[in-house]
Amino acid sequence: MTEPLLETKLYLPKLRPDVVARPRLSERLRRGAESKLTLISAPAGFGKTTLLTEWLAATPERAVAWLSLDQKDSRPATFWTYLITALQTVVPGVGAAALPLLQSADAPIEPVLTIVINELGAVPHDVAVVLDDYHVVESPDIEEGMIFLLEHLPSQVHIVIATRADPRLPLARLRARGELVEIRAADLRFSHDEAATYLNAVVGLDLTAANVALLGERTEGWIAALQLAGLSMQGRADVGGFIAGFAGNDRYIVDYLVDEVLQRQPDHVRTFLLSTSILERLNGALCDAVTQRHDSKAMLEKLEHGNLFVVPLDDIRDWYRYHRLFADVLQAHLLESRPDEIAALHVRASAWYQQDGDTSEAIRHAMAGQDFDRAADLVELAIPVMRRIRQEATLHGWLKALPADVIRVRPVLSVGLAGALLSVGEFEGVEARLQDAEGLLQGNGIGPANRPAEIVVANEEEFQRLPAAIALYRAAGALAHGDVPATVAHAQLVLDLSPEDDHLPRAAAAGLLGIAYWITGDSRLEAGHQAWAECVAGLYRAGHIADTFGCSIGMADIRRVQGRLGDAMRTYEQALAHAGAHGGPTLRGTADMYVGMSEICRERDDLPAALEHLRHSQELGEHLGLPQNPYRWRVAMAGVREAEGDLSGALELLNDAERVYRGDFFPNVRPIPAVRARLWVTQGSLEQALAWAREQGLSATDDLSYMREFEHVTLARVLLAQHTKTRDAAALQSAIGLLQRLLEAAEEGGRTGTVIEILVLQALGAGAVSDGLVPLERALTLAESQGYVRIFVDEGPPMALLLRAAAKDGIARGYVRRLLAALAKTETDRPIDQGLIEPLSERELDVLRLLATDLNGPEIARSLVVSLNTVRTHTKNIYTKLDVNDRRAAVRRAGELDLLPKR
Amino acid sequence: MSETADATEDGSWDDAGQYEVRLKGHLDPRWSAWFDGLILTEDSDGTTVIHGAVIDQAALHGLLQKVRDIGLPLVSVTRVDPNHPAVHQFDPR
Repeated sequence: MTEPLLETKLYLPKLRPDVVARPRLSERLRRGAESKLTLISAPAGFGKTTLLTEWLAATPERAVAWLSLDQKDSRPATFWTYLITALQTVVPGVGAAALPLLQSADAPIEPVLTIVINELGAVPHDVAVVLDDYHVVESPDIEEGMIFLLEHLPSQVHIVIATRADPRLPLARLRARGELVEIRAADLRFSHDEAATYLNAVVGLDLTAANVALLGERTEGWIAALQLAGLSMQGRADVGGFIAGFAGNDRYIVDYLVDEVLQRQPDHVRTFLLSTSILERLNGALCDAVTQRHDSKAMLEKLEHGNLFVVPLDDIRDWYRYHRLFADVLQAHLLESRPDEIAALHVRASAWYQQDGDTSEAIRHAMAGQDFDRAADLVELAIPVMRRIRQEATLHGWLKALPADVIRVRPVLSVGLAGALLSVGEFEGVEARLQDAEGLLQGNGIGPANRPAEIVVANEEEFQRLPAAIALYRAAGALAHGDVPATVAHAQLVLDLSPEDDHLPRAAAAGLLGIAYWITGDSRLEAGHQAWAECVAGLYRAGHIADTFGCSIGMADIRRVQGRLGDAMRTYEQALAHAGAHGGPTLRGTADMYVGMSEICRERDDLPAALEHLRHSQELGEHLGLPQNPYRWRVAMAGVREAEGDLSGALELLNDAERVYRGDFFPNVRPIPAVRARLWVTQGSLEQALAWAREQGLSATDDLSYMREFEHVTLARVLLAQHTKTRDAAALQSAIGLLQRLLEAAEEGGRTGTVIEILVLQALGAGAVSDGLVPLERALTLAESQGYVRIFVDEGPPMALLLRAAAKDGIARGYVRRLLAALAKTETDRPIDQGLIEPLSERELDVLRLLATDLNGPEIARSLVVSLNTVRTHTKNIYTKLDVNDRRAAVRRAGELDLLPKR
Repeated sequence: MSETADATEDGSWDDAGQYEVRLKGHLDPRWSAWFDGLILTEDSDGTTVIHGAVIDQAALHGLLQKVRDIGLPLVSVTRVDPNHPAVHQFDPR
């Protein structure tokens, strides 16, 4: 958020002494205090806020959080931040962990709300949340969040909404369930008695019943109108004449009455009211600046005292606002009577806000006053801050509102606009804006002294950085279009142009380079890793820890391809350690680190550790994972299931991964269809694997490139499997040829991880065992120090054969012995024949073995990293298949059938 | 008030049009500036018509919000075909 939190928005309005008691409505509100949602829906001036204030004053012991909404709260992050902060006024510290999550641009709202909801559930007393002026919030995202909040609201929390238009919430459903209390315009209108009480007892008039009736009819009980009428009649000699005149015409009541009220004010008060009507909020100093007086503070207090629709926003009588209706009428008067003064008023307000440090209000008023040069100056000065706090969308809004010819002469704004367009994904017009700026920079001195008159620069510091910024945005644009050479050239230019201590653009450029090199692959992986390492270092120096996780994933992926599992693991561990040392809340991307570590553990055959990491990742929650994490988690889990022998479970997870897959800047070098094809090969579903190869258009004679290396190695596996199954000699020859070419390419690119895998396949594809030992020995040499296990063990009995031969030959004795032991374990874990009509599946066996322990249902679910419902389903099936009715019987039967592991 | 254009600069169709928004109560013509220059006409049945060119649906909804905000009951919103304008008997007082 740009500005500090406005305390005034959380201020509980105080009850004014001159309020008509409305017991029938108070009773309704009291009932509302026990339901989920109270809705007060009526047009402006019906006394909604007053009613709520009255209710608050009547029950001061009640915990009420108040939030006065305004137009700026249409931005979801702003809305929820204010809501949580309001809640903290009655439940200290609630949602504190959730607040930082709102700072990332597209944070999903449900995890944030879940935290708040859970904490509210623990509060021992009732809590009410009032949202005043809800109609100004018009965002579908906020509505979604509100619906979620209502759905899961703890019973001791009650929401109250005051609005001029019915909100898009499931009102019908809430009504049907009796969870909604409504107070509408018809309820809020003053009855005849209430009007009489107000006019006579409160305002102090002495009206006849007939006159009250006339007024009531004319205003239809509209409270604001009656208040204005009251004001118009105070101290008036001919009250009867006024009422007759008022009742006898059709003019818009508020207009007519405000006119009356205004006419009765001294000139200086009238001028004050009109001049300050342009302001959203009023305080003494601001009004002095706008009206060019010195006594605004006193004036405001007098207006409040005289009930002239001035509403205090705090207890210290510092800030006020006008009642909306009143302000609207004043503005209409101003527009009509003094139109040429309006611009000047706005400019004065803008100057005051600028000096007060409220940039966004300063800009708003400058634009409203059509002083675009002033507005442009302010926007230029605000650019670095807006970028740093990631409010590019707001910046984009401001720039869009400035006239094109104002932007064109300001290179800082042209470039700022280019950056803002990129950040919201609009590529049209980016290059044109960059060229506009470049044209002005062409051959001109940097210093202000020798700058041509037509260039305007308000932010010298930003101006100095323009050449680098232009190069950076060009690099980003080039990457988005897939033009790798251009990306590299521009990114390199950024590094050349930026001083050493300008961390952010250097880090950004390094990040782009990393991606570009990664895409080029073949021989530039190490350069990519280097670039990302620099990016991470730069981000640390700039204090942007959160963005480093994305780079860490790329760096670890490169290390894995390079066959450096230890370094990959260290990359994840260091990223986590750095983030931890930095302090502050857990950052988005932490969940991804655990998924990465799980994959390395899996390769090293430490399945319990792999599962633990995956469980940890899951517990962290979706909001702490980057957009690709859901898919990566499932692929990693599929790998673990495969290692456990549960191929169908693994396939299900891969299908799921495909559903939640989201692409991003990083190239997809391990596409899910290829991973799945490998599973099909292991499973023996050769036809499906061959179909995959056909669909992808893969052939053993393709030109090779790093981008498709994984797919081509998969193709080699498919061809080998084809040969094994059908004795198809041509398939074997194709595989051998392909593998040889792949080997050369992988070796040249330093992709040792792939080299090991290719060697393993070559060993398996060799005719005689002795021929296979040559590539196998090489593979073992490369793999041993990194702890590779599954890359061998996943190949099953054919690999066991080769390994036994290797052992005989004395090759890598210790390592081979460990690999053989791992292979043996995999085999004995799977009972071949269970002696049942319908055998238990792998998962059911897992559950059964845990049923034989002391773990309860939820503990079993956690242990297997599945949901409790899944455990229940499996248990039911187990009982059916074993023909038993309870847990003890199931365990006993399992023992009889020898399905439980030996103790 | 400016002429309505049925086509945008590149000739595509958009939802600009002439609209009549009818409110209950008489609104002084000086409110025209507040309604961005649209014309206000007071009708003999006690209603006021705000009419003129509205550039698109978003602008129309913005206009309706302004109507909502000043609290005058909304009676009707009618789009007027410029080729066959409805004939009203105005009786300005």
